[in-house]
Amino acid sequence: MSEAVIIQRPPQPGLFSRWRRNLFGSPLDCMVTIVCIALLAWLLYRFIDWAFISSIWAKEDEPLCRETHGACWSVIDARHRIILFGLFPFEEHWRSTLACVVMIATMVASCFSWFWSTMRISLLWICGFGLFYLLMRGGVLGMTDITPERWGGLALTIFIFASVSIIGMPLSVVLALARRSKLPGIAKLTGLFIDLFRSLPLLTILFTAAVITPFLLPGWLQGDKLYRVIAGFAIFFACYQAENIRAGLQAIPSGQDEAGLTLGLNYWQRVTRIQLPQAFRNSLPAIVNQFVITFKETSIVTIVGFFEILASGHAAYGTGEWTPHYIEVYVFIAAIYFIFVFSLSRYGAYLEKKLRVGRG
Amino acid sequence: MTQSISRTFLSVAASAALVLAAGTGSAFAANGDTLKAVQERGSLLCSGHNGSFPPFVQVTDDNKWSGYDIDYCRALAVATLGSDDKLKVVPISWAQRFPSLQSGDIDVVIKATGWTMGRDTELGIQFSVPYFVGATNVMMPKELGSTDPETLEGGSLCANAGTSTERLAANFFKSRGIEIEMITFEKSEETRDAYFAGRCDSLVGWGPNLAVTRQSAPNPDDHAMMNVALALEPESAAMRQGDDNWVDIVNWMFAATWIAEANGITSENVDEHKANPADSTVEKLLGVSPGIGERLGLSDDWAYNVIKTVGNSAEIFDRNIGAGSVYKLDRGLNALWSDGGVIVPMILD
Repeated sequence: MSEAVIIQRPPQPGLFSRWRRNLFGSPLDCMVTIVCIALLAWLLYRFIDWAFISSIWAKEDEPLCRETHGACWSVIDARHRIILFGLFPFEEHWRSTLACVVMIATMVASCFSWFWSTMRISLLWICGFGLFYLLMRGGVLGMTDITPERWGGLALTIFIFASVSIIGMPLSVVLALARRSKLPGIAKLTGLFIDLFRSLPLLTILFTAAVITPFLLPGWLQGDKLYRVIAGFAIFFACYQAENIRAGLQAIPSGQDEAGLTLGLNYWQRVTRIQLPQAFRNSLPAIVNQFVITFKETSIVTIVGFFEILASGHAAYGTGEWTPHYIEVYVFIAAIYFIFVFSLSRYGAYLEKKLRVGRG
Repeated sequence: MTQSISRTFLSVAASAALVLAAGTGSAFAANGDTLKAVQERGSLLCSGHNGSFPPFVQVTDDNKWSGYDIDYCRALAVATLGSDDKLKVVPISWAQRFPSLQSGDIDVVIKATGWTMGRDTELGIQFSVPYFVGATNVMMPKELGSTDPETLEGGSLCANAGTSTERLAANFFKSRGIEIEMITFEKSEETRDAYFAGRCDSLVGWGPNLAVTRQSAPNPDDHAMMNVALALEPESAAMRQGDDNWVDIVNWMFAATWIAEANGITSENVDEHKANPADSTVEKLLGVSPGIGERLGLSDDWAYNVIKTVGNSAEIFDRNIGAGSVYKLDRGLNALWSDGGVIVPMILD
């Protein structure tokens, strides 16, 4: 054991003096800083004025919108139900709301490490997903039957994202392992499958799933359009995620696997105890990135006629007096997207920190 | 209707799907199939939109479909199933209209769809009689004093870049020897904002779209439409090729609303007319004397139900596009011929 070395950092200048040196070091620096701050302050003021000071809030005040230069949030007041629920029947909105709450709670719960065992996480998702579906679809317990073509808005976006993640994530692990298989046939075929799907745009995959497959598949295999689209989306997601996971697998030194072999561990033990935990840790940023991209790409399903949140937004401002107020609707939707994506990426950052524990 | 690049791309994809459909042989319907399928299913599947296309397809504050095209979908549901509760509007995008029709996802497309030869012959689609005429027109401020094209001599025109309306407008003014400066923009929101900001003296667009734009102006009454249209496009319902009975039903559904209007029958007074038919046409229309139902495979009171539930063509127009709506568009060419329009009801014998 060596003696403890006392590490002393060189003295650091305080925050204030550092700022003063960097921002106001010379007359030119001063000028640039002041101009930039003034510009930022002006832009911020313009935004605050638009969004809060000169804006109109109530539905009834719509006529005032024509006179102000501020935002017309009346459109949100009048039409937020369309953005949030799409074409879901008006009287049943409590079901859609409750379903969203259940799904978000499930997502949040699965972020806690207590649920991170195969049994617990499966049980959680089966319950959460089942409850969501039951509330949305109805048909039991006196709730009217609402078929998926009437689902919409935020609820549909969340449903598509959650289903794609649930189907796509296990599939991506299988694909990543199969591509590294020692059996050349399986490795080659999986590689071909992944590269085939990665070389097609998501739009064409969704269009094929929604429109062309009914011509090719027998009736009993078709299912609802929504499920076909989710299946296509999930395969697309899995192909990308598989490559992320494969990158993580390849970063593990082969000696570790060999060490496992000498200890007499079988394939599944080596995969679940040695390879996958490290692969996830290695490629966590890329994996979270793929989730973020997928959440945002759910808006592409509007092209095959689904009323997800962006299409609902279009419908919200696309009538009578609300047509000029598309900016307000887009800002509202952007805020919703931001809340979801920002929490997702913060959670990713938290996970990275947590998993780094013990790694130095 | 103008086409953006993404729509063109999707149309190509859609056509590919249709070629495939023609190859597998499922694209064509046999005579009477569609009505049978609708009645067995107990619901009519009609085209909606992925978003909204005011004033044809839009969503009300309480999350229900409404609009001019949706009202005709309702009328068709009433005609075939007796009630508009049985209408199911399927949200589809523009590019999806025809593939969805072929694959049986919907029974009919009533969605501001122009009757073109390519669609009629190559896509395996059959069109109804035109139920709406869409005029490409020019909007200008009322303060110019006149709505003649000559008023714009030496002025400027805002248009969407690279669209058919831009070319139409250029040709129109050139052929009349009117000097006009074209100012084009990529996005229709930009074009609209440029006109209202006074960057140009006039704005060209498809009639109903223009009406919606005008309605959203700071002061809608300050703007007027030019008194000559640049071009007309007939809008028809589209159905699968081969089911003549279904085409007949859709055609006569439109005709029933026109004949009702021509005879002054509205949803309000239809019962009085049924009790006291003025002539044999009204008798037939309202099912007092038989004929209108049996020949189509429907009940004799289907047209009565349509008028009672949805109203005649004047009421449908007024409610969705005209004075009864926020858009306040003149009926113009979409009036009956007797009121100076181009709509000619077929003869009920």
